[in-house]
Amino acid sequence: MSSLPATSPFKLGMWLLLAPLCLWLILLIILPHLELLAFSFTDPEQGSFTFGFYQEFFLEPLYWRTFVRTAVMSIMATILTLLIAFPVAFYIAKMLKGRSKGIVFAMCLIPFWVSELVRTFGWMILLRESGVISNFLQWSGLSAGPVELLYTDATIMLGLVYTSMLFMVVPLVSTLDSLDDSYIEAGYDLGGTNWNVLREIVIPHAIPGVVSGCIIVFMLSLGNYLTPVLLGGKDSLWFTEQIYTQFITRFNWEQGSAFGLLLLLLSSLIVWAGLKVSRQSFAKTMG
Amino acid sequence: MSKETTIDLACENICKHFSDFTAVDNISFTIPKGSFFSILGPSGCGKTTLLRMLAGFEMPSSGDLLIKQKSMLDVPPNKRPVNMVFQHLALFPTMNIEENIGYGLRRQSVPKAEIAQRVAAVLERVGLAGSGKKRVDQLSGGQRQRIALARCLVLNPTLLLLDEPLGALDLKLREQMKIELKLLQKEFGTTFVYITHDQSEALVMSDQIAVMNKGKFEQVGTPHQLYYQPETAFVAGFVGDSNRWQGNIESQDGTAVRVSTNDGLSFKAKVSADKTVNAGNSVEIFVRPEAINVSRTAPSEQTDNQLICQVETILFDGAKSQIIAVEPESGGKITVTLPQTSDFANLQNADTIYLNWSAEQTLCFADNPDNRGGV
Repeated sequence: MSSLPATSPFKLGMWLLLAPLCLWLILLIILPHLELLAFSFTDPEQGSFTFGFYQEFFLEPLYWRTFVRTAVMSIMATILTLLIAFPVAFYIAKMLKGRSKGIVFAMCLIPFWVSELVRTFGWMILLRESGVISNFLQWSGLSAGPVELLYTDATIMLGLVYTSMLFMVVPLVSTLDSLDDSYIEAGYDLGGTNWNVLREIVIPHAIPGVVSGCIIVFMLSLGNYLTPVLLGGKDSLWFTEQIYTQFITRFNWEQGSAFGLLLLLLSSLIVWAGLKVSRQSFAKTMG
Repeated sequence: MSKETTIDLACENICKHFSDFTAVDNISFTIPKGSFFSILGPSGCGKTTLLRMLAGFEMPSSGDLLIKQKSMLDVPPNKRPVNMVFQHLALFPTMNIEENIGYGLRRQSVPKAEIAQRVAAVLERVGLAGSGKKRVDQLSGGQRQRIALARCLVLNPTLLLLDEPLGALDLKLREQMKIELKLLQKEFGTTFVYITHDQSEALVMSDQIAVMNKGKFEQVGTPHQLYYQPETAFVAGFVGDSNRWQGNIESQDGTAVRVSTNDGLSFKAKVSADKTVNAGNSVEIFVRPEAINVSRTAPSEQTDNQLICQVETILFDGAKSQIIAVEPESGGKITVTLPQTSDFANLQNADTIYLNWSAEQTLCFADNPDNRGGV
């Protein structure tokens, strides 16, 4: 025992430091998922092993179609968010200097101090039949009657992009910030146009930020519940809504568990495919 | 007429004002084709701003900038026949060496086969044949330097701008790159505009040097002229080492003056281009340590300036060793180069040495407190 006096206090310290992380991982992530896994494979009446709840997902078109719809709309929301956030991030990181840079960045952050629920209600006040925009259109004579702008796919998309914007802007600003101005200047100096410099110098440099932003936004959109339900209404057909229905309305915890795990599995698969397509590795993006 | 066409760059009354100060103050100069032109100055003198105006990243507040007799004021940086080697080189880390060098050629829509051939040729010329597939971080500092040059030279620019590219290298490599840069410049025949705060870089490489201070050119000339015939006190102090005294003029006879320094020494000096010096005026005088003859016995001949001093310290630095000597009567100090002859091999502190030098080598300038930058 006396041969290890120098290393053992260090090891104890390391374990103490790791303890909160381990507890969090085990209690809040691993255990619940093991529980879900167990639920999803158990027949509640006989207590025996069953594949039935997974079968249900593939056999009932409503379920897998809802899933595909959720995935496709989340991918579209991710792409839209990227297209809008990139110029914003470039402007903040490269065009603004000093004080104004901090102010504009803070202005991007401030809306997120308000809860997502309240922000979504804000959109409802604007978009509903008796809302601000509808009233304005009637007042200005552009429309004869009330206009309902809520409860469409476009509204859901608007809400998703709005909710996700910050999570795309932040990683993009930090990668673009690390791009030294001299690379951009060298790009022009050697004869490049705006488009050349963007495509050959700025975007290749920003790829890690683009990928991490896309992963976060995609996961947030896929797992979003509030926005699709409030802005899309009853027909929003979002997959998390199905999970909610199974757990809360139908009390079918086994089916809900199976859906939850399928969501995890399929979203991981899509992220993996996305990384493959963009030829990035997860480690590189996070490092 | 034939002289006109050989001018690559002409700047006419270029000024650049920022909101609260003037970075470049009414500068005019021309650079002949194929020459190595350096702009030497302390940091903050405006040399980088001037270079960035040549590249097109800054617009002059007034004045004109002509390359091959064509005004460049309305030409954006990507259309100018000018390329720049950046201070930290700015080799694109997301591309390999070949792609880095080919970047400019791709912008000119050169066919792929020709790009490959021209890239290989330029790599060969900078002595890095076969490293086209390497990543930027696989090269050493000196190799990156050469790639940055190759990336510009492959485009055959009229003017190559270099923004202190040797600053990040260690001393040995810097010495080596100085010679290499000069050789490459000769070989390619491209006009180089090189900015630096390191006088040795400028002296070794340049055909012409402009010494810049506070937004103005103090003097433009060959390295030889700047060293031996500085026109201003700033140039005398900034280029090369100098003993420097403040003093007053006792008497004047044409360009020859007698000056007594504030620490009690008295010298015969020569007034240079500066003609506003009168008896009684406060002046600065400069004597280079290497211009002073040192002997251990009293010299037989009379020279303009003579001092009998005691060695206070010997600063040993190989061939650049110096003696700091004190004149016992006045306590005035003077730095001289330690001769590498056997006479001085056993020189020790407190030994007596005899110093003498001519009035020609004692430069005298009107004292201008604003110009005491230098050194």
